[in-house]
Amino acid sequence: MNVLNEKLKEVFVSVFPITIIVFILHFTIAPVELYQLLRFIIGAVLIFFGLSVFLLGVDIGVSQIGHLMGSFLVKSNKVLIVGVIGLILGFFISIAEPDLHVLANQVDLVTSGTISKTSILVIVSIGIAVLMTIGLFRIIFNISLQKVFIGMYSLVLIFSLFSLPEYLAIGFDASGATTGAMTVPFILALAVGVSSLKKNGITSEEDSFGLVGITSIGPILSIVLVGLFLKQNKLSEVAVNQMSLSSSVLYPFIQKLPIIMSEIMLAILPLLVVFILYKLIVKDLSKRAFIRILKGLIYAYFGLVIFLLGVNEGFMEVGYIIGYKVASLNGQWIIVIVGFILGLVTVLAEPAVHVLTEQIEDITSGYVQKRIINIALSTGVGFAVALSMLRIVIPGIQLWHYLLPGFSAALLMTFFVPNLFIGIAFDSGGVASGPMTATFILAFSQGAASATQSANVLVDGFGMIAMVALTPLIALQIIGFIYKRKSGKRGI
Amino acid sequence: MDKCPDSREYELFCVIVNHGVGSKIIKFAKQHGISGATVILGKGTIKNHWLEALELFEIRREIVFVVAEKELGYSVMNEIEKKFDLKKPNHGIAFTFSLSNFLGARYCIFTKKVKREIGEKIMYNAVFVVVDKGQAESVIEAANSAGSRGGTIINARGSGIHETETLFSMAIEPEKEIVFIISKSDLTDPIVNKIREELKIDEPGKGIIFVLDVNKTYGLFNTK
Repeated sequence: MNVLNEKLKEVFVSVFPITIIVFILHFTIAPVELYQLLRFIIGAVLIFFGLSVFLLGVDIGVSQIGHLMGSFLVKSNKVLIVGVIGLILGFFISIAEPDLHVLANQVDLVTSGTISKTSILVIVSIGIAVLMTIGLFRIIFNISLQKVFIGMYSLVLIFSLFSLPEYLAIGFDASGATTGAMTVPFILALAVGVSSLKKNGITSEEDSFGLVGITSIGPILSIVLVGLFLKQNKLSEVAVNQMSLSSSVLYPFIQKLPIIMSEIMLAILPLLVVFILYKLIVKDLSKRAFIRILKGLIYAYFGLVIFLLGVNEGFMEVGYIIGYKVASLNGQWIIVIVGFILGLVTVLAEPAVHVLTEQIEDITSGYVQKRIINIALSTGVGFAVALSMLRIVIPGIQLWHYLLPGFSAALLMTFFVPNLFIGIAFDSGGVASGPMTATFILAFSQGAASATQSANVLVDGFGMIAMVALTPLIALQIIGFIYKRKSGKRGI
Repeated sequence: MDKCPDSREYELFCVIVNHGVGSKIIKFAKQHGISGATVILGKGTIKNHWLEALELFEIRREIVFVVAEKELGYSVMNEIEKKFDLKKPNHGIAFTFSLSNFLGARYCIFTKKVKREIGEKIMYNAVFVVVDKGQAESVIEAANSAGSRGGTIINARGSGIHETETLFSMAIEPEKEIVFIISKSDLTDPIVNKIREELKIDEPGKGIIFVLDVNKTYGLFNTK
């Protein structure tokens, strides 16, 4: 059994459930067209192979670059270098993220140009850069993770009181969009690279997590802050979703391939440039290791292209149709239950989830098991989707009715949970809201919203990602609490 | 604490298996009377030119350390070999070392009868200390104060009889650290005793120490 087999097996277990659920829905309450079903099957196969190859590439390439950079930053022993490189790195990996470009386009549309695409890109990337640097400094200067989270989220809360709620929703979505498939593994590995040099085993382990969590606050903070100054009228409503209308099975895949290839090329470029610069400047890397990491990047590139092709062309449309059909049924509770089940299975196929769980196992030497993290994440995201469906069905519920108590609870829980799990929980929030959620689940909720008279596609569509980013915080901290209660020695 | 009867001998058993099997081995071993085990994560390789070109030669492994009384250990190892199919290729390997010293077990302290032959004096010992996560530094401090020149810390997980926990019916093994010290044989006893005192190894559940003989060392810097 080699690594590829191992990965294929692991990915199969995580892609299989969602495929089965869609099939069951197809044959019972939400039949889709045959060509859509065929596309879905092709999509599932592409996701299966793409994700396996991508994860392999992350192991061999992307994570290694993160470790190298992290150690390099610490060994430089200069605050200035950590600061400058942190800012540059954060800015470029964020601005190269394809999901962010899609979101920026949408925001440009719905604000009828008041917030241009470029300004969104720059605002969000500055937010990422600053918060990522703060996160790095936190590890180096031993500032407690809990304090940083409470401080940052309090700032978000204060700013959002004076800003339009739409900006908050856009901010959360931008946060989900920027912590994409390529950046999350890199940031995760960066944190490990920095903290692995710590002498104390416990803090070294705890500080390996939390950087993604801190970084993903960046876009929320920066957009809400900008919203303070742009006192704009209500946002206009434009249909966000563009569906391909062709009924051909293969054509959409072929048509989309070059687009995705160039997008991901852009996303991987900052990593490649950083890595080559590192090789040229630091020179402590053997030729063998250099080539190995380059091969890893190639794996990651093609894996991600294939994966995204499958998700975008195979899954998205089916998600929309299922959402629409189920929401049109009599009995509105059905959509809530279907939402719960889809949330449950979708998160397992999220690329960064695999990277995070593997890193958790590595760092804790297997003490925190993959399966337990997966169970918590699944349940969390299941609830997130179910609650979002509830919001579509019952017009009175607004996004902040969930977010305010949710984040308050998550922050309050940090007082009772081991530090390790605070980091893991806040990281998993950024991890869960990856490409699967941003396409399949988002399309599903947009479909559901457009079938419901009282719902607003825009308002209810945005904010979905915020929910998916919130519930894992609570679910994983509950796990942390259980671990704390259960560990300890008996019978001495 | 009493000395062990001379008839007993302790051995260190190492089992290297695929990722994820370590916990099963611990569970199985405990059911057969072993009092605890420690696991570290490792990476193994496969020899195959095609896979090497594709950078697919690495595979995740787990290394299980068990210290057990010789007779009991051998019988359990035989069971493990059958149960986990170690005889088949790519299922894993196992090997043992004989220990010269073992502390921290519930009942007794084991010290091997000194039976050095003339002209074959063992110069160095390898001291392994398994403690709860976060205590490795105190171990190294204690060892250094007794004359050791350094140590290597390995992250691990493991469980003794006191600490099997289940979460959703899954066994959880707490995090550990293994400190690995190479010491001159005349310094071994002071180092081990110092660690014993500082970390209260003799109290149950505080960790274990075991000592192996080292045949040859390279790269050790001698200041004397």
